[in-house]
Amino acid sequence: MYSLIRKDFLLQKHIVLLYIAILLLFSLFVEASVYVGFIFSLSFIMSACSLDEKDNINILLNSLPYTRKEIVASKYIGALLFTLLFVIVMYVGDFLVNGNNGLLLLKEVMLILGLVMITTSFLLPFLYKFKMQYLHMAMVGVVVIYLLTISFFIKNLHDVIRALTLKILALQEIQLYFFAMLIIVILYIGSWLLSIRIYERKVF
Amino acid sequence: MENVIELQHINKSFNGFQVKDLSIAVKKGYVTGFIGGNGAGKSTTIKLIMNLLQQDSGSISIFGMNYMQHEKEIKQRIGFVYDENIFYENLTLKEMKKIIQPAYKNWDDKAFQYFVDQFELPLNKKMKTLSKGMKMKASLTFALAHHAELIIMDEPTSGLDPIFRRELLNILHDLMQNGDKTIFFSTHITTDLDRIADYITFIQNGKHMFTKEFYKIEEEYAIVKGTLDLLDRETEQEFIAIRKTNSGFEALTAHKNRVANLFGDTVILENPTLEDIMYYSKKGGELYV
Amino acid sequence: MQIIISNSSKEPIYEQIYAQIKKLIITGELQEGQSLPSMRQLAKDLEISVITTKRAYEELEKNGFIYSIVGKGSFISEQNMEMVKERKMKAIEEKLVAAIQNSKEMGISLAELKEMLTLLYMEDE
Repeated sequence: MYSLIRKDFLLQKHIVLLYIAILLLFSLFVEASVYVGFIFSLSFIMSACSLDEKDNINILLNSLPYTRKEIVASKYIGALLFTLLFVIVMYVGDFLVNGNNGLLLLKEVMLILGLVMITTSFLLPFLYKFKMQYLHMAMVGVVVIYLLTISFFIKNLHDVIRALTLKILALQEIQLYFFAMLIIVILYIGSWLLSIRIYERKVF
Repeated sequence: MENVIELQHINKSFNGFQVKDLSIAVKKGYVTGFIGGNGAGKSTTIKLIMNLLQQDSGSISIFGMNYMQHEKEIKQRIGFVYDENIFYENLTLKEMKKIIQPAYKNWDDKAFQYFVDQFELPLNKKMKTLSKGMKMKASLTFALAHHAELIIMDEPTSGLDPIFRRELLNILHDLMQNGDKTIFFSTHITTDLDRIADYITFIQNGKHMFTKEFYKIEEEYAIVKGTLDLLDRETEQEFIAIRKTNSGFEALTAHKNRVANLFGDTVILENPTLEDIMYYSKKGGELYV
Repeated sequence: MQIIISNSSKEPIYEQIYAQIKKLIITGELQEGQSLPSMRQLAKDLEISVITTKRAYEELEKNGFIYSIVGKGSFISEQNMEMVKERKMKAIEEKLVAAIQNSKEMGISLAELKEMLTLLYMEDE
C-alpha cells in the first residue's frame, strides 16, 4: 500500500516540486497561510484522484496484487501525508524567512489538516461513486450557492469566515480543539469506510 | 491433473451481459484458448477470473485459493495482458516500471531488461505514443518480469499484424518449456490457436459449451457435405446445425464416426475449423432456443 | 531427429509424429536408450501445441516403442523393437505365403515368382 502512495507522488512529482517552490515563495508574504496550505493540499489530492479515475487505470490497479481496501486506504492515508508534507514545507519556509518569532502556530497546522480532512471526507466517497465530471458540476453548484449567499443573504460572508477563522485560532480551550479534532477524525474514518463500500462494489 | 483456474456454477449478470451456470477448469502447464463470439461473455469471464467483477453466485478458485482470503497471494502469481491500454498515458515505460515493480515480491529486474531488449521496447517514450503491439509487449514484459505462473490474456492478438502474432506465439512456446506456466487467452482470431492451444474452451451466450483437447475436436467434429435427399427427420438429429442450399447441404456434427457409418461414401467429411464450430453452434443455438 | 509434419494433411498431426518416430525406430535410426526431445521442446520446434506431442508420445509409449522416466524424459525402448521387427517379419511372411499359394494355383514357377519379386522390389526403389 505504501507503494500506492509512492505512485501518487511519482505521478505528480513535477507538480509537487512546483507546489513546494510556490509554498516557499508564499512564506515571504506569510498572510494567508492557512488557505494556501488547504488549497494546495486539496488540489494535489484531487488531481491524484482524477489521474486514477479512468476505468483502465482501475483495471491496472486491481489486477496488480492490491486489494480494493488498500487502494482506497492509499488515498486516505496519502491525503494526510501530502498535507503534512506541504505543512512542513510551509513551516520550514516560514522558519527560514521569519526566524523564530514568525513560526506557524500548531493551531494553524491543525486547522489546515482539519479542513483538508473535512473536505476530503466529502469528496472521496463522491468521487468513488461518481466521476470527476460530476464533481465539476457539483462544484459549479457550490459556487452558485456561494455567490447567491454573498449577494443576497449574508453579504459579508467573507468577513464572517475570516472572523471565524481568527476566532477559532484565538480559542484557548484545548478541550474544544480536542473535541473538534475527534469529530473530524470520526468523520474521516466514516468516509473511509463508506468509500471502501462503494469501491468494492464497483465494476470496470 | 492440477487445475489452476476453477470456476464453478458461476452466475453473473451485468450491463446486459449474462453468464449462466458457468463451470470452467484450466489445466496447469498448458495453453487454453478461450473462444466465443462477440457478447458471448469472454471478457466478463476474464474479469471474473481477475476479480475485477464479483460473481452473483458460484465459486472461483485460482491456484486452489479464493479471492476472499487470498487476493494478494493470487495476484502475485498472475500476469495480465488486456486488449485495452492500461497504462498512464503520459508516463514512459521506465516510469511505469517504477510504479508496477514495487507491487511484486518476485520482481526480476534482469528479466525485465531482457524482454525490453528482446521486444525492442523504448524505455523513455510516453506510453501513449506506443503502438498497440508495443503496449501488448509492454504488458507481457511486466507479466514475465515477475515470473507469473498464470498468464491471462484478453484478445492479445487483435489489432496486431500477422508477423507479430507469429512472434508472440514463439514467445509463448518458449514460456511453456518447463511446464510450470499456464496460459489462458481469449481470442476471436482462431487460427492463432492452431499453433499453440492445447485445450479449447468454448462459450456461447454466457454458457460453457465445451472444453476439449484441441485434437479431440478434429476427432469428434466434422463438416458433412451431401445432397439434400440424404436428410430426413432421423438423420438430421446427428447435426448441430445444417445449412441447406439448392445445391445440397453442409452441416456440423459432433459425432464424426457415427455419421461416417451412417452415410458411408454418400457424403464428404471435412475437418472443421474452430470458426465452423462457432458458426454452426450459434446457428444451432438459435434453432433450438 | 528430423520430423516433418503437414498442416494440410488429413492425417492428424499427432499421428504423423507417431508414424515418423515409429519409422525412425524400426529402421534403426533411433536406437535403444537414445533420448527423444522433450514434448515441450518438440512442440516448440514444430510450432504445434504441447498436447499434440504429448498424445504422440503417449501412443508410442502405449505401444512399447518408448518409455518415460519422470523428470528425465523419454527414451527408446529395446525389447519391443525386436518384437516390432518380428511382428513385421511375420506380416511379410504371411503375405509371401499368400503370394506363393496364388502363384501355385496359377502354375507360376518359383523362378518366375522370384523374377517378379525382384522386378517389383527394384521398381519401388
